[in-house]
Amino acid sequence: MSPLGILLSFGLSAVAWEIFARSGMLPAAITPSVFAIGAAVGRMVLNGTLFVHIGYTMFRIVVGLALALAVGVPIGMLMGRFRPAERFTLPLVSVLSPIPSLAWVPLFILWFGLGNAASIALVFYAATFPVILNTWTGVKSVNRIWVRSAESMGAGDRAVFRRVVLPGSLAFIIAGLRQAFARAWIAVVGGEMIAATSWGLGWVIFDSKEYLNTDVMLGSLLVIGALGLLIERLVFQMLEHRTVGRWGMVKTVRT
Amino acid sequence: MYRLGAAAALRHAAVSLAGAAAPFITVAVLWQAFAMYGPFPPRLFPGVDKIVATFVRLTFNGILPTHALATLARLGIAFAIGAVVGVLIGMLMGRSRWAEQLLLPVVSVGNPIPGLAYAPLFVIWFGLGNLPAVLLVAFAATFPIAVNTWSGVRAVKEIWIRAAESMGAQERQLFRSVVLPAALPYVLTGLRLGLARAWRVLVAVEMLTAVGFGLGWLIFGAREFLNTDVMLAGLAMIGIVGLTLEKLVFERLERYTVVRWGMMTR
Repeated sequence: MSPLGILLSFGLSAVAWEIFARSGMLPAAITPSVFAIGAAVGRMVLNGTLFVHIGYTMFRIVVGLALALAVGVPIGMLMGRFRPAERFTLPLVSVLSPIPSLAWVPLFILWFGLGNAASIALVFYAATFPVILNTWTGVKSVNRIWVRSAESMGAGDRAVFRRVVLPGSLAFIIAGLRQAFARAWIAVVGGEMIAATSWGLGWVIFDSKEYLNTDVMLGSLLVIGALGLLIERLVFQMLEHRTVGRWGMVKTVRT
Repeated sequence: MYRLGAAAALRHAAVSLAGAAAPFITVAVLWQAFAMYGPFPPRLFPGVDKIVATFVRLTFNGILPTHALATLARLGIAFAIGAVVGVLIGMLMGRSRWAEQLLLPVVSVGNPIPGLAYAPLFVIWFGLGNLPAVLLVAFAATFPIAVNTWSGVRAVKEIWIRAAESMGAQERQLFRSVVLPAALPYVLTGLRLGLARAWRVLVAVEMLTAVGFGLGWLIFGAREFLNTDVMLAGLAMIGIVGLTLEKLVFERLERYTVVRWGMMTR
């Protein structure tokens, strides 16, 4: 993918949007031109509100993901190591996991009130199941021979866990974290729309709808897309590259 | 002898049934204890007995099935649109360099944007009701399907194409007999991801676009009246529908196609 091709692709999309926006098929108020969208983003950058919105959204995501890791990884580890834990937890996970996290929003609002707590609980619910399932798969996929050879060289239970099982399953845990982030990203935007607070990228879209500020809405959408892609590319690919990639467990491609 | 065998089989079945029910019973007991002695008033955190009673009542007077059917119909239509558009875009991107250059950057930026973030815009553009809901869900489902179809077509082994060509396969035959079956595991993965995403977005969209019927709307509407038992019964129904989709649709689809052709093992 050449930089020129990328530029051409986005340029053509922008031109296509501009033609559609000016064609009058829909009223101009609800299809702002590319320049209006750019100006809206510029305004939000200059008066600093954009960064506050991003800060609030990131805060909810990070706290929710941290909680999900703190709960999900131990549960997944237990499930992978002990059959009874697996038999007990797996049915619950497979029933709860297909429930979209956003279906819980109205209930979470009643339980935790509007604001940060409801959004964080939502991120936690969305992110925990991918972490559990991937950790479990990771522990199960640790090569038996590694465990046995470590044991035959005199490693105790704790050493086997820390030196063999944990690094051996890390590739899966990171993949789980990636999935969890993708889900949490959806959950946080949706949660901010419904469990309305006063800040956050999802909230600003929903709030702008009231005033028909479509330029702000589309601008925030672009920010959400760019930020999601950036985090996925920078944070997760780097994490993978620095750990399991460096240990030669998976091939990482840097893009 | 036979009697003993039957008794042993029966006991085995009972034990495995108890094993399957144990996690749910434990959670139900914990839930009940929390509902009775926890910090929430019963209006906000109903007991298991109340939730089950509401679920049974709403199922038998037809309210829950009606809402579930409305949601499923919306899901089916939206997913069908998303699947057709997504597979077409993905195939085009996989087969033509030009289409790939033009579409790939747009698709890769559009893919990580949560479909739900578009919901307010779709409401402004298409009004309230079914139209924006279905269009938004179709839109959200298109991206993973397109991306996976594209990588599937790109992953077809060059040797297979050359072998078919050297045996005199035409362009159309090549596509139907080589490219399509070889790309199918990827396409199916894409459809699976697309349906999962459509399902997740749909429930939330129903809350935002004020459709008349639907499980998301049921939950959202019940909040206004603090009917937490109705909300939890709706959530249980959502769980059942989601689990059924996963078990019946996906696993079967995979078994009947790619596993049978020996391209994947299960």
